[in-house]
Amino acid sequence: MTTATVDLYKPVKATLTKVIDESPSIKTFVLEPEVEFSFKTGQFIQLSLEGIGEAPFTPSSSPLVKDRIEVTIMKAGFVTEKIHNLKEGAVLGIRGPYGRGYPLEKLYGKEVLVLGGGCGFAPIRSLLYNLEAEKDKIKKLTFCYGSKTPKDCIYKGYIDHLRSVDKFEVYRSVDQADDEWNETEGVVTCLLDEISINVEESAAVVVGPPIMMKFGVQKLLDIGYPEHKIFLSMEKNMSCAVGKCGHCMMGKYFVCKDGPVFSYDEIKDQPDIWK
Amino acid sequence: METYYTLLKSNWDTLLNSILNEYDIYAPFHFGESIEYSIVTESNVKNIIYNRPKPSTPLKTFFLPVKENVVNPSKSDKKRIVMGAPSCDLSALSILDEIYLDKDYIDPNYSGHRKNTLLIGFDCHSTLEHCHCTTYGFKPYPEENTDIVISYIEDKIVLNVKTEAGETFRKNWINSYERITEKELTKLNDIQTDVEKELNGKNADLPDYQQTGKLITASEEDIWQRYSDTCVSCGACSAICPTCSCFLFIERPQFEKVRSIDTCQYPGFERVAAGEDPLRPLSKRFRNRYMCKYVWKPEKFESKACTGCGRCIEACIGDINKNDLFRELNKKETVET
Ligand SMILES: Cc1cc2nc3c(=O)[nH]c(=O)nc-3n(C[C@H](O)[C@H](O)[C@H](O)COP(=O)(O)OP(=O)(O)OC[C@H]3O[C@@H](n4cnc5c(N)ncnc54)[C@H](O)[C@@H]3O)c2cc1C
Ligand code: SF4
Ligand code: SF4
Ligand code: FES
Repeated sequence: MTTATVDLYKPVKATLTKVIDESPSIKTFVLEPEVEFSFKTGQFIQLSLEGIGEAPFTPSSSPLVKDRIEVTIMKAGFVTEKIHNLKEGAVLGIRGPYGRGYPLEKLYGKEVLVLGGGCGFAPIRSLLYNLEAEKDKIKKLTFCYGSKTPKDCIYKGYIDHLRSVDKFEVYRSVDQADDEWNETEGVVTCLLDEISINVEESAAVVVGPPIMMKFGVQKLLDIGYPEHKIFLSMEKNMSCAVGKCGHCMMGKYFVCKDGPVFSYDEIKDQPDIWK
Repeated sequence: METYYTLLKSNWDTLLNSILNEYDIYAPFHFGESIEYSIVTESNVKNIIYNRPKPSTPLKTFFLPVKENVVNPSKSDKKRIVMGAPSCDLSALSILDEIYLDKDYIDPNYSGHRKNTLLIGFDCHSTLEHCHCTTYGFKPYPEENTDIVISYIEDKIVLNVKTEAGETFRKNWINSYERITEKELTKLNDIQTDVEKELNGKNADLPDYQQTGKLITASEEDIWQRYSDTCVSCGACSAICPTCSCFLFIERPQFEKVRSIDTCQYPGFERVAAGEDPLRPLSKRFRNRYMCKYVWKPEKFESKACTGCGRCIEACIGDINKNDLFRELNKKETVET
């Protein structure tokens, strides 16, 4: 994958064609790059605002769609706040895709368990699009998704769609329910008590806030998942995204290039994996 | 490749003068107490400092400038010669090459500067207090990453040509030279052996590179708290380290980016959204630099991430001496086993 050396850090321009409100703090941005831009599910891009800043995001759209790319972004600080203020027509920069995405070949033939929390649904959505298109290659897909409150649940329409997909099962929980909530109340890991899955035949993908991933992995190990069949997408500070600037170092790994998706056995001995 | 030529120092100076239009030449000069690289001109050619350790600024700054636009770099087609790098600095290029010339993502600026630069390293004929290259397996005379090596002995410049590029340079520009005599070669070897002995002698109690990594992994929190007590997070240790290579992009208009050197020793280096920062505690941040050099990088790269130049000890305004730290860890280990 040797990248044309002169353009290594030069973004391509992309026009913001649509902004979708997902929750009070999360929006999806639909971008049309000026040249075709393809990625593998779980790979990420660097999205830049001219003269302001750049941050890594995992596309939430289908990797099979080539003419537009969607990113779902939580307002979390300086750059994400500026992005949230953008209107349709704005021009952004994207470079990438970077990193190692989800190991699809290790999910094929399996009962796939996907455990997601909060904004972790964004990168998971691209995986679900991908697996839906290839559903004859997997045994089944169980998706457990947790958020803080019903208001924070994103992609409501998409959830309804997923429930209608053959082989797909969806379980949701919120930390704090309201009167209308008729699904599970509690942290997302309690959904693992509700599902029926043959652990021997399964592989799991976990994406979400660090604390959720930590307890999620613990629970998966408890119910018998081997370390090498648990896949995590790690989030670290990033600047270059190509294994040079050092910001994303997690022990011996550059998360940007060696990851961001790792199996648990690869990273369990590295420092600060949950920070 | 290893071919020795000698020429009179006065002829060498004349030669340098004659190629100033062809090349930008940088070499070490005295600036007060310290030695620093500066551009060679007709008037200062005679003041170049030969074979003395070591320019305060590491060689890396020629390839990774403090600040540089990486999307729209300023271009100069003039070729460059950098003279005077000691062995520790030249060897440090190995790990920088592994990172910046990684075949998956070749860094355009770094690779451009590397290609455009002829390197003429110098043997070290003396040592400074904190030099400890030999402890980590490097010689006090350049063995790698250099096109030519120079030793200035009596009134002669001894050139050891080590690469094709070095040989091309020699052929193009040096037409009056002599082959090295047996006597001169012996003299050169004697100097090299003496300096090596001196370094081995004064650093005999320092653990080697591999051992250092093990000691750090096994160490307890207390020693890092004690040694980091006077650290003010100035980042000087990384700035002057020939192998530290971290940076941060700063966004500019027209989607341009300026690369600016950065270090894990600055607060916030690993901070992620919502404020989580694994390196917030000072002692942990301080230890991170050691983990990086002696534990993690060795697991990932072939080349060593510390070449024993000792600059980080000289540069530390908190008077922190990494070699004292390792001596203490080493002693503890010896007592305990
Ligand atoms: C691989 C990957 C995929 C991701 N995917 C998504 C996604 O799909 N959706 C999503 O919402 N989020 C995603 N994130 C997280 C997202 O990148 C962060 O939320 C975003 O970078 C926050 O940027 P900010 O400027 O808004 O936040 P801030 O908190 O303002 O800043 C965060 C960044 O700026 C640096 N910074 C800010 N201030 C300072 C300072 N004073 N000194 C030094 N550094 C500073 C931080 O170190 C950090 O790099 C992903 C992250 C990674 C690594
Ligand atoms: S860590 Fe210190 S001794 Fe080692 S190469 Fe860097 S500055 Fe030199
Ligand atoms: S010690 Fe710190 S600044 Fe130096 S290379 Fe390692 S992470 Fe970067
Ligand atoms: S983001 Fe620069 S090394 Fe990973």
